[in-house]
Amino acid sequence: MALLRAGLCPGLTAEMVPLLRASGLRTVVDFVSSDLEEVAQKCSLSYKALVAVRRVLLAQFSAFPANGADLYEELKSSTAILSTGIASLDKLLDSGLYTGEVTELMGVPGSGKTQVCLSIAASVSLCLKQHVLFLDSTGGFTASRLYQMLQAQPEDEEEQLEALQRVQVVRVFDVYEMLRALQELRDSLSQQVLSSTGPLKVVLIDSVSAVIYPLLGGKQSEGLALMMQLARELKMLAREFSLAVVVTNQVTRDSSAGPLKPALGRSWSFVPSTRVLLESKETTWEKANMQRIASLAKSPRQPTGLQVELDIGNSDVQELSPATPTQGL
Amino acid sequence: MRRGGGGAAAVARVRGDCCCCRRPRGGAAAPPPPARAMGDAFRRAESGTQLLARLEGRSSLKNLEPYLFAEEGFPVHGDVIEFHGPEGTGKTEMLYHLIARCILPKSGGGLEVEVMFIDTDYHFDMLRLVTILEHRLAQSTEEMIKQCLEKLFLVNCNSSTQLLLTLYSLENMFCTHPSLCLLVVDSISAFYWIDRSNGGESFSLQEINLKKCAEFLEKLVREYHLALFATTQTIMQKSTNSAESSFSLKLQHETDTDYRPYLCKAWQQMVTHRMFFSEQSNPGNSKAFSVISCHIKEKHVVKRSFSIAECGVQF
Repeated sequence: MALLRAGLCPGLTAEMVPLLRASGLRTVVDFVSSDLEEVAQKCSLSYKALVAVRRVLLAQFSAFPANGADLYEELKSSTAILSTGIASLDKLLDSGLYTGEVTELMGVPGSGKTQVCLSIAASVSLCLKQHVLFLDSTGGFTASRLYQMLQAQPEDEEEQLEALQRVQVVRVFDVYEMLRALQELRDSLSQQVLSSTGPLKVVLIDSVSAVIYPLLGGKQSEGLALMMQLARELKMLAREFSLAVVVTNQVTRDSSAGPLKPALGRSWSFVPSTRVLLESKETTWEKANMQRIASLAKSPRQPTGLQVELDIGNSDVQELSPATPTQGL
Repeated sequence: MRRGGGGAAAVARVRGDCCCCRRPRGGAAAPPPPARAMGDAFRRAESGTQLLARLEGRSSLKNLEPYLFAEEGFPVHGDVIEFHGPEGTGKTEMLYHLIARCILPKSGGGLEVEVMFIDTDYHFDMLRLVTILEHRLAQSTEEMIKQCLEKLFLVNCNSSTQLLLTLYSLENMFCTHPSLCLLVVDSISAFYWIDRSNGGESFSLQEINLKKCAEFLEKLVREYHLALFATTQTIMQKSTNSAESSFSLKLQHETDTDYRPYLCKAWQQMVTHRMFFSEQSNPGNSKAFSVISCHIKEKHVVKRSFSIAECGVQF
């Protein structure tokens, strides 16, 4: 809450501030919600001056309403749909990741969340030629696996190396480091520094539960407040800079036989707009030992409950290596 | 800021559009004497047109959604309706449905009133709203969609302090836009944990921002004859200690919901209708949702089911 001080806005002079403070108005909110006629009488200040200051403070500190038609025009030009690199997942997500939204991938350890993230990074950096920020909190990112996915694409080697340069990896191991990394991202995007970040389109966070879990539990609410702050920062980044934010999360169950639900509790469940559950099921077909299924748990556009089979990794690569290197958590 | 011509045009527009007033139209061009409204408008200096706009201009929200309201069939001005439910139960979809009903032109089955949407958690999906509008209009051209969207105003708030200051600055807008009669806040519980952590140990410090917001919202709703729709999220488990809950036990038993009030008393006391959203487990594949609508004062309870298709909510 901003405190009233001289020079906070034009019209708020150094003489006015101690008079206002003497009558109990210390913050902007106090000033704006007070009855200005009474204040003018008590502090013997000009009513007109107070009204002018109130108007300026409101204009400075409150949010400005936008018209729906203008917003729609802006959205039409800035929203993009990014392919994930896995055709069946694109179909599930209604042709890909939408910018301006937070998408969540949830699954048990080893279900392929990191693989899907790497595939998104590969597809966006190579085919779409956009920059990617990968916040790794589990240590599951390996550049060699990313390069392997890039090599599976038909582009030539030089372009593949360029694509690797467009993926920026930051290792964060607690929530404060993550918040700092996001703040640095926000600063560089606001200043539009083109050199290193370039046109950034995707932020991948693998995984968000690893940094939040140590905060939750017990009776304190500070952990939950930090989690909601992180959630707010992600959504603001996605919306303001038209990014697609992808987070990975664990799953839990209510009881031993209940359905799978995302971890991090009820408050977090409101945050992502799309949620995909990744599972791997054993099959008895001769084609593969493990079948990866993705089902849509929450979506603003598609009916939930859709399921597709995922092809990650070596089915695209020419040589046959039956054992997929498992990069689970 | 005023749209259109000067005050006279505003008066003419207001008189022409409004369909709910049952006062006989004498055709007189002079505004009615302001003596009637002396009581609550005494302290503020208002021009004649502003006064007229306030008294006559809020067209009724009749037929907004007869399925949702237990009796009367329409939200009355001054109603505060709370949508409560866990994630994925259709609260935001229901809001889109109501907004679409409001901003569509009369020829498309709408009420042609303006809506102010306050978005506190960046949840609003414009593309989804446009899809719903396209499905509801007979011929949906870009022009018509734009015209509908011009009746919608959106604000994003980052913190409960900013929400409070934004409400103060929106007061001016309600004054100058007489057809703005619906205020939507999605969601009013978004800052709960952050406020709780900022307030430290004292409950009153934790709740002070939301309390001030609730009080100011009540003032806005009362003075400008609005209807307020707000969503709150179910983030607490049902309280096993029934004494803690201020929600009447009989009503809770009837509605059988997982409701535990956690927002400040000032907000809870100003709610006139509370709607509980939940998922219904259906035999068969279709996903259905149910909404239980409670009128707080009269203790009416009505239960409805709906499903969500591409064109929005369907009862």
